[in-house]
Amino acid sequence: MSILLRSSEINKLPVVTFAGEDIAQVKDIMYAAHGGQIGGFTLNGRGMFSGPLKTALPWESVVGLGPDAVVIRDEGALTPTESLLAAMQSGGPSAGDILGSQVLTDDGAALGVVVDVVIEVADGGGGQADVVGYEIDPAEGVGRGTNRMLIPLPDTMSASGEYLMVPAAAREFVTDDLAGFGAAVDDFRAHLRGQR
Amino acid sequence: MLFSEALGRSVVRTDTASTVGRVSDYVVDPRLPGVVALILSKTSSQGSALPWPNIIAFGVDAVTVPSAAAVVEPDPYLAELAGKPHTLLHKRVLTTSGVQLGTVLDVDFDPTIGRLAALLLEQGPIDAARLLGVGSYAVMVRA
Repeated sequence: MSILLRSSEINKLPVVTFAGEDIAQVKDIMYAAHGGQIGGFTLNGRGMFSGPLKTALPWESVVGLGPDAVVIRDEGALTPTESLLAAMQSGGPSAGDILGSQVLTDDGAALGVVVDVVIEVADGGGGQADVVGYEIDPAEGVGRGTNRMLIPLPDTMSASGEYLMVPAAAREFVTDDLAGFGAAVDDFRAHLRGQR
Repeated sequence: MLFSEALGRSVVRTDTASTVGRVSDYVVDPRLPGVVALILSKTSSQGSALPWPNIIAFGVDAVTVPSAAAVVEPDPYLAELAGKPHTLLHKRVLTTSGVQLGTVLDVDFDPTIGRLAALLLEQGPIDAARLLGVGSYAVMVRA
């Protein structure tokens, strides 16, 4: 069983050790593999007045990522932020930069603006955390009112920071709720594979 | 026996048949997992910690100890485990998958050896063998 989380839900999650201490909280998600998966987290201290930490958390050291916490073994999981940032410099836009960009289908229709990133975490962490879709604020022409909608992402995508290109077929797999989104992602990817 | 049941229970010395204090808290080592000492209130002597090996019996009506010498100042091991950050009751329970299961309402333990049996949550009991650590933020259990 894997779970789906929005990136906005992951920000501010406490980072908790096996000893039950909350040693930090997530400041921002760092994306790896051209924005396709989580590479790690930058951190803030806990408490209202604590600022950013000089250490970051690489994804390999995360034991579990869930709706309530990021779990690590102990403080040894943290590494200096700079070295982790250097390792993340893979080039290309990261999923974080995608926020605010226009979603355009390959037949030239604008679907809306990206407002959140949907991440799939394999059972209890330890595996990968893949970016599987985006939450978008729909454009007027789509005729879906102002309700936000979720759009599944193909395994490969093209993005410039200005536009995000998706196959026109993605439109048929748009859903409103996160609960049913996992199935929509699977269906959509199976559909794309069938076309090739 | 539940933590809540035994709170306030008298601790009686068998040599003079007098009360040395009352049970006010439990010191738990999550690595065992078990109760390694009791913290007493209303003690007449200097210390307030009663290490588990110094107990004769944890009975249904009273805890018996051989003499006042059973109650001591906590040693560094106990001092590290005692105190507010390490209490179990009313603390949130998190799994290693990052999911919050609820809060600890009570703890079930074996009064003969002090071993913890289960953490009791609103949602149901959790086997104490899953316990990983007890910190200021959460009680950690294996997913």
